[in-house]
Amino acid sequence: MSGTVVSSSTSELVQLDDTLWEIPAASRADMRVPARVFADRELLEAITAGRALEQLQNVATLPGIVDAALAMPDVHQGYGFPVGGVAATALPDGVVSPGGVGYDINCGVRLLALPLSAEELGAHCEPLVHEFSRAIPAGAGKHGPLRLSSDELDEVLRAGPQALLARGIGCEDDLVRTESGGCLPGAEPGAVSARAHERGCGQLGTAGSGNHFIELQRVDRVFDRTAADAFGLGEGQLTVLIHSGSRGLGHQVCTDHVRIMDAVQARYGIVLPDRQLACAPASSPEGRAYLAAMAAAANFAFANRQALAHAVREAIRRVLGPNAARATRQVYDVAHNVAKVEQHGGRDVLVHRKGATRAFPAGSVEIPGDFAHVGQPVFIPGSMGTSSYVLAGEPGSLERSFGTTCHGAGRTMSRTRARATIGGAELRRQLEAQGIVVRCPSNRGLSEEAPFAYKDVGHVVSIVERAGLARRVARLVPLGVVKG
Amino acid sequence: MFGDMTPPARVAPQHHFVEHGGEVEVELEAEDEAGIFAAALDTFTELVAGNADGESMEIQIGLRGRDRTLLLVDWLNELLFRAEVEQFVPRHIKAIELEDETLQATVVGYRGTPRPLVKGVALNRLAFEQEGGVWHGRVVFDV
Repeated sequence: MSGTVVSSSTSELVQLDDTLWEIPAASRADMRVPARVFADRELLEAITAGRALEQLQNVATLPGIVDAALAMPDVHQGYGFPVGGVAATALPDGVVSPGGVGYDINCGVRLLALPLSAEELGAHCEPLVHEFSRAIPAGAGKHGPLRLSSDELDEVLRAGPQALLARGIGCEDDLVRTESGGCLPGAEPGAVSARAHERGCGQLGTAGSGNHFIELQRVDRVFDRTAADAFGLGEGQLTVLIHSGSRGLGHQVCTDHVRIMDAVQARYGIVLPDRQLACAPASSPEGRAYLAAMAAAANFAFANRQALAHAVREAIRRVLGPNAARATRQVYDVAHNVAKVEQHGGRDVLVHRKGATRAFPAGSVEIPGDFAHVGQPVFIPGSMGTSSYVLAGEPGSLERSFGTTCHGAGRTMSRTRARATIGGAELRRQLEAQGIVVRCPSNRGLSEEAPFAYKDVGHVVSIVERAGLARRVARLVPLGVVKG
Repeated sequence: MFGDMTPPARVAPQHHFVEHGGEVEVELEAEDEAGIFAAALDTFTELVAGNADGESMEIQIGLRGRDRTLLLVDWLNELLFRAEVEQFVPRHIKAIELEDETLQATVVGYRGTPRPLVKGVALNRLAFEQEGGVWHGRVVFDV
């Protein structure tokens, strides 16, 4: 099988094994390493239809990049880095690229497990989803339930969700069950601009728009009972999946630092094929400033999902009672957009994950004790109205992808075409006909996120499983969705 | 870059969305540079405007920069910032003065409930250039 060649719009792809394809470094004079994509032929067809692989080749030109620029099977065209892209740069002098993290720093997902089944929920389903929609503001300028002073915001930027515990928002167990304990090291509030502070100060506890959501789900099928038990999941059980990020604060951090790096990279002799890849050595003043601001924004995002989870628990308390709220336990919280210093292949590297999820296997020191024997939980949201998956990290992720797996289904269709294909009202009717409760203030926003605008999440997940990056633990089906 | 286009007698500022598998890409066209900023504003309004109108507002925007492409990004970033912190939804430019290194504008709009769709304005595929007597711009929004 190895050696099979497929042409993309830009270069020839060589098949390395069942699920891995490569554009050799020699295909372009400026590539420092190969570009590799995890996919099968069918997914590859969708992937090569856009500019995702050309963007991946651009990533392969970053100074200090090691091994290969990688794309997960949900990869699609982004605005510099492809969404679903992974790049590791050697420290101390390999570069950090804010575009390799993206505007929504630490966009990610948090899964809550409720202490009751869908059957037990019964007629409370619609009132519960409605209560979620009342409890969670979505929009820009839609201020959340928390108004923070400047000092309080800085504490959130420094410490993440830990800073909210004193307000009764979340508990210690939530922190343990959050990637990096909910706090990236090196965060400096002073590295976050006044404008970013201004955008963020009222947005803690808001979901945002686009593909962000809060979804009530039922565990439809368990594939790995040992891991599911460790995660606290069983068939028929209710879960809530929260997808959001660092809101305007993180967006502004990216905006600020892309511009700074765009202005200084020539000083470091860096020439790039795409201005949005603007970067500087991680050890440079500009690189260190970005990493300090990015960590602060990431901590804000962890705290934001903590505040959203608190709102969900409060809604559960109002509809189902205090016992149900108290026993609603966080399964885990994972980041999709972040750069982290990790050790791979015996060296320190800065792993950029842009629309990709850390997926460390069993035995990794960074995952909580409850999960140490089964691997880190990973959550893969499907498109609206379709299944989502709970995965566990596998050893292949460390061997092949810097401890990374996919993050979602991956778009295949533009928002414009999705809107032209189906109206929001019609889509709402279709979802409701499937028994899914929908709360979304904008029909336009709904149609842009139509299920057919995405790849089949089951297919995407099957590739990362075959590739040995992560294995399926459980499948979740939607009962209700709240969108911004 | 934009192909051979015969310019019409007058080109009102206009925009059209381009197929993009992940984000929102838009091409802008106008008969002069100021018109590109107007077309960019129209695009932003189309992306964020909600249903309800609020009280009328007028804001002043002052920007500095020699690079027109970056000035276009700064323009949209300023509109994005005002939308988030002031809930300002722009309608149109009342006055604009574009010099070599500065942009001064008065923008008319209203306080509304802008959609929180746009996260950032990327430098990817960014363009601002004249071809065949017509000005063209291109912007990719992260959404």
